[in-house]
Amino acid sequence: MENKKLSRRDFLKAAAASAAGAAMFTQLGQIATTFASPSQQDAVVLKFAVHWELAFQPTQEAWDTKYTAEHPNVTIEKIYNTWADHNAIVLTWAAAGELPDIVYIHGTRAVPWGKGDILLDIKDRMEADKAFDWEGIFQEALRLYNVDGHQFAIPYDHGPILLGYNKDAFDAAKIDYPTEKWTTDDFVKAAKALTIPGQQWGFGADVSLGNESYPAHLGIFGGATFNDKEDGLLLDTDESRTALNFWFDLMHKDHVISDAAEIASVGAGGADARLSGQFAMFRIATWDIPSFHDLSTFKYDVAPWISGPAGQHTGSFGSGFGATATTKHPDEAWAYLSEYLSKEGMEFMWAKSGRGSPAREAAYQAFLDAPIVPEHSQYFLDAMKNYAVTGHPYQTVTGPEVLTVITDNVTLLGTGEIDVDTFIKNVTEQSAPIFAR
Amino acid sequence: MALLPKRLTQLTLRQQEERSFYLFILPWLIGFVLFTGGPVVYSFLMSLTNWTGIKTRDWVGLDNYIHLLTLDPNFWIVMKNTFTYGIASVILGTLLALAVAILMNQKIPGIRILRTLYYLPSVTSGIAIAIMWGWMFNPKAGLINFLLSLFGIQGPNWFSSTLWAMPGLIIVSLWGIGPNMIILLAGLQGIPQQLYEAARIDGANRWHEFRYVTVPMLSPVLFYVAVITMIGSFQIFENVLVLTNGGPGTATRVFVFDLYQNAFVNSRMGYASAQAWILCVIIMVLTWLMFRISRRQVQYEVVEE
Repeated sequence: MENKKLSRRDFLKAAAASAAGAAMFTQLGQIATTFASPSQQDAVVLKFAVHWELAFQPTQEAWDTKYTAEHPNVTIEKIYNTWADHNAIVLTWAAAGELPDIVYIHGTRAVPWGKGDILLDIKDRMEADKAFDWEGIFQEALRLYNVDGHQFAIPYDHGPILLGYNKDAFDAAKIDYPTEKWTTDDFVKAAKALTIPGQQWGFGADVSLGNESYPAHLGIFGGATFNDKEDGLLLDTDESRTALNFWFDLMHKDHVISDAAEIASVGAGGADARLSGQFAMFRIATWDIPSFHDLSTFKYDVAPWISGPAGQHTGSFGSGFGATATTKHPDEAWAYLSEYLSKEGMEFMWAKSGRGSPAREAAYQAFLDAPIVPEHSQYFLDAMKNYAVTGHPYQTVTGPEVLTVITDNVTLLGTGEIDVDTFIKNVTEQSAPIFAR
Repeated sequence: MALLPKRLTQLTLRQQEERSFYLFILPWLIGFVLFTGGPVVYSFLMSLTNWTGIKTRDWVGLDNYIHLLTLDPNFWIVMKNTFTYGIASVILGTLLALAVAILMNQKIPGIRILRTLYYLPSVTSGIAIAIMWGWMFNPKAGLINFLLSLFGIQGPNWFSSTLWAMPGLIIVSLWGIGPNMIILLAGLQGIPQQLYEAARIDGANRWHEFRYVTVPMLSPVLFYVAVITMIGSFQIFENVLVLTNGGPGTATRVFVFDLYQNAFVNSRMGYASAQAWILCVIIMVLTWLMFRISRRQVQYEVVEE
């Protein structure tokens, strides 16, 4: 075969022909797009950031497959963050102008993200969409994402705190399980009877004053951490003081609640101490159910939270989803959210498996029928309908900072290094400059 | 040379080397300016605003710095904790790394395996190590308190005690001496044997050899290790996050942990940027101080021409 060299002229000809061909091909593509069917023309890619772990991602994929089959012009592109990193990543996206269309929103993030122009106000769309039963969502859950009259997200999971109990421990001590009528007296009596020094505590693992926990611990005595406007504390009141003394006396005087060192000895390395089976009673929320099902080695059930001098109170909290303020497809994003967070969506995604308690009553039966939920899970619904409130702070940007001050000092109450009066004094002093700001 | 363009061949050898030098460092330089230098400058500008990390971005001048230094009740707590941790981990970490390096410098069978084993922790995930130490310090079932119990000592409640949480973190920091040990080992092996022989002829014992040969000859390496450890220790974060979350109370709230809280929990990105700059200045001042103090102690080898 003759080895023919390519002359410069031949090379230029070939290059010109290739360039012309490429230009024509591009042009043809544009012409084809112009005459494409309407569904192809309106093709929309919705970017959706969420924190589902690997094991739960197939459920999300199954939902999206179903959704995109019904909406062939839509493609859902997921970004799976880790739970620990999601909040920081969203901030980074916002700073870079790279927000996806839909994001997962923890209840504490509604205010900073809503006021920070990360989230789209979906109130008008929500109320105008006749097919979307927004009134069927628990109002306590919905208001968590309502900032100054703007609705920045729709909750998907919102659960109350109940009294969990180790049935094995109760059976071994021959003590009746907690009932709907249990008061603080019943609780104390049982907690003392169930405590085996060094081995088992009547209640544990800790006494927290976080968003969802303080209504349970302080509310039953009429106390609270924050006032309703979140511009001041209600810790320095007789009610809160009585409540704090009640819980921390049980810890440090009666030794029926585990102190910080005892919790560390049971649940070191980040493990949930409650799963050890060494606590006869404990706080439990619906989001705890999967880990209790998978990891606990004891039989457990749930009861209503106990009543105190101020009646029955407990806290609730949760998470939701919203569209971002920068989405180029707000209608499509809402269309997706309205189905995702409909009764059917909540049943499919979270209720059927028992992963989370749906934020609407109509979807609750699927949760109650889930194979992993404890026997008396209807008490969760009962609490949501009757006495659970969304715990503060969730309305102010400075709220989380004050909550950190409270939490720091609660750890000292837990170690026994300060008493209740010092706790209240410390928190009041340390939070004053934050409120002043 | 015929392959080189004519203009290049007209350059002197020095100019050619300079050109090559700049060409080779250019990719790194571009990366540094874009991905490090740019954000560094940006963070300084942000430190002069009240940026929440999202929207609000009003110019506040030096307010963040003034507030930090005069009004923030956490600032001095955080400073005390960070300096406590930094000073203790630099001194203990450097001494332990030196001790291990001396041991690893012995000519005994299996020494290479031992060196690998001592270095191994340094290539393990930081979070995994922190969780493992959480178990080691378990007051009831942890290895540390078990070992103490063998000597009749009742171990403390480590990370749930305001007194012992910081010492616990300092002990955990010693786990990462591997890289320093390797650097010091290389330094030890670079000391000429003739110096030891000369010292022995002069009647030096082991301690004298260490004091008058090893330490002076190793002083530049020791100084380098101390500076690097100091810079790293002032930036401790992940162990605090996993093991103590800054507590109990504020017992282990250190600089970067506080900065992280302000940036990503309290939505005070401008304020956190000011904290980052204050930390940068502290580290620079400390490094400068270490250089000043070390002038007489560190003995660099001078090659006379």
